[in-house]
Amino acid sequence: MRSLRLRLFAFLLALASVAALAVGGATYVSVRGEADELFDYHLRQMALSLRDQGRIADDERAVLERAEFDYVVQVWSVDGGVLYSTVPAPVLPARAVLGFSTVQVNGAPWRIYAAATPLRIVQVGQPLAARRELAAAAAARSVLPIAVAAPIVGLAIWWLVGASLAPLARVVRALRERGVDALEPLPSQGLPSEVTPLIDGFNALLARLAAAFDAQRAFTADAAHELRSPLTALKLQLDLLHDARDDAERDDAVQRLRSGIERAHRMVEQLLALARAEPGAAAARAPVDLSQVARQAVSDTATLAVSLGGRVDLEAPADAMVDGDADALRSLARNLVDNALKYGGTPPHVHIHVEREGGVATLVVDDAGAGIPEAERERVFDRFHRREPGRGTGSGLGLAIVRAVARAHGGSVQLSNSPLGGLRVEVRLPVA
Amino acid sequence: MRCLLVEDDEMIGESLRAALRRHGFAADWVRDGRAADAVLASERFDAVLLDLGLPHKGGLDVLRTLRARGDATPVIVLTARDATADKVAGLDAGADDYLVKPFELDELLARLRAVGRRASGRAEPALQVADLRLDPATREVSRAGRPVLLSAREFALLQALMERPGAILSRAQLEDRLYGWGEELESNAISVYVHQLRKKIGDDRLHTVRGVGYYVGEPKGG
Repeated sequence: MRSLRLRLFAFLLALASVAALAVGGATYVSVRGEADELFDYHLRQMALSLRDQGRIADDERAVLERAEFDYVVQVWSVDGGVLYSTVPAPVLPARAVLGFSTVQVNGAPWRIYAAATPLRIVQVGQPLAARRELAAAAAARSVLPIAVAAPIVGLAIWWLVGASLAPLARVVRALRERGVDALEPLPSQGLPSEVTPLIDGFNALLARLAAAFDAQRAFTADAAHELRSPLTALKLQLDLLHDARDDAERDDAVQRLRSGIERAHRMVEQLLALARAEPGAAAARAPVDLSQVARQAVSDTATLAVSLGGRVDLEAPADAMVDGDADALRSLARNLVDNALKYGGTPPHVHIHVEREGGVATLVVDDAGAGIPEAERERVFDRFHRREPGRGTGSGLGLAIVRAVARAHGGSVQLSNSPLGGLRVEVRLPVA
Repeated sequence: MRCLLVEDDEMIGESLRAALRRHGFAADWVRDGRAADAVLASERFDAVLLDLGLPHKGGLDVLRTLRARGDATPVIVLTARDATADKVAGLDAGADDYLVKPFELDELLARLRAVGRRASGRAEPALQVADLRLDPATREVSRAGRPVLLSAREFALLQALMERPGAILSRAQLEDRLYGWGEELESNAISVYVHQLRKKIGDDRLHTVRGVGYYVGEPKGG
């Protein structure tokens, strides 16, 4: 039973029934007990008084023999003859037990008191059904108020629950009527305090959803926007190829087009790496050796290092296992070494260092470039932020990827001054 | 036409400059807003291709500075921002036209010709001086209805002179119109092109004023 209203109603009904049963039962038992005592006393008094007075007066006889009088009186002689009986045929058994006894008379239980004199025996009996009826009537009277009150209380509850839940119905209506992408908070005024936390929780969820949607939208818009530059370059490069007048121009145009495609490809790869590192993109986790990741990054960037005439030192003795996504960590390290090579002086000098201390594995990349002023160190993590626009054809995503990956692994990234004179990037990750 | 290209993206700048030069424009290229300001303050261009997201000084600020000086050089904004509000802001800041990246080169060239035409107050796309006709869009030149084949430089030289018939352009002015910075330039290049042009279109249309320069039109009194 899902309906709160029906459930309350059923519960009330059950409660009323149990209460009625309990009250009725208790009344019956208690009235029956009192009636037993009272009637037993009557039986005894009557029997003793008849015994003592010896004979029964006529007026007494008239009273005793009235039909609505449910006592039966029988007087026996000691030899077993009926001396007197209030009913035409004697019903009480002749074998008298002195004092109280309960016997079956014609299949119904009777209560009998017998008193004896040397000459005769006086028996006064009463059917127990009379006592039961009395107790049952009393029990019925006591249950009556409950039986009358239950439907009234039920109706009241029915109405009260309905009225209390009306604001909830308003919320439901408001929810149904809103558009698919409307994420404004739901109205919570006038709601019962038991329901308010539900709506508040729901509103908090809506707010988080709205924020996530906004971030997603912004990311998509930024990405589309940023892809326009490489595409513009590609279009122009294709035009140049198309309009080439001789082999030299054609070769030059092909070369340009190739680097344009390479750049667009890098941009897409970087976007993908960032999207994968964003929260919510669950990736397979496995033990990854950070030293191995650093070595891989050095070999990934070897071509660039050679073409720039740069120097790359790697110091990765410790085996620093972290629990992580190998591809994402590789992208993190590669971006760091790539940046260090591109901005690490002319010719670049890069020092990479991996260490493990307690529960933290650290990857440190130092360069000998110009560094980043402290005021700018937070902004460089923004996606598509380029410190020197126009210089190079970077995606502006490198450090954004580094931070997203580090955070996805429960770690952090810190920028500081390098002993080599340039920038130091320190990535700290919890070890596996 | 001499164009200034203001673009911070290395690849776009390089390719666009090459493409413009190939289509007979003299194209110069600067990579940031401050450099654009400095160049625009000191040199004259027939058109500016202006990116908006520039380092040091944004494209819109460059445009406002230019217009605040009363400089009416035609400006075409080239940008990746395509929201209507951005276009409105660009045009209201004084841009003559607006092109969203990625654009077609042909469209850019057509728009360049159009702003050049508007700047010289012409409605007719083709230039006409007596029986000499030059169409910047199709790059066709004819004399008395007969087509004349010109090289890109010859065409650019003739166009510069025909845009203002009768006006004398100095050799330096013509060099500016024909060459971007850093392009190899022989000291007598202009005289060589004038000589070749005369051979192709006839020497009664292109005139020399000794020590001053050249003009196209009816010969001036004697």
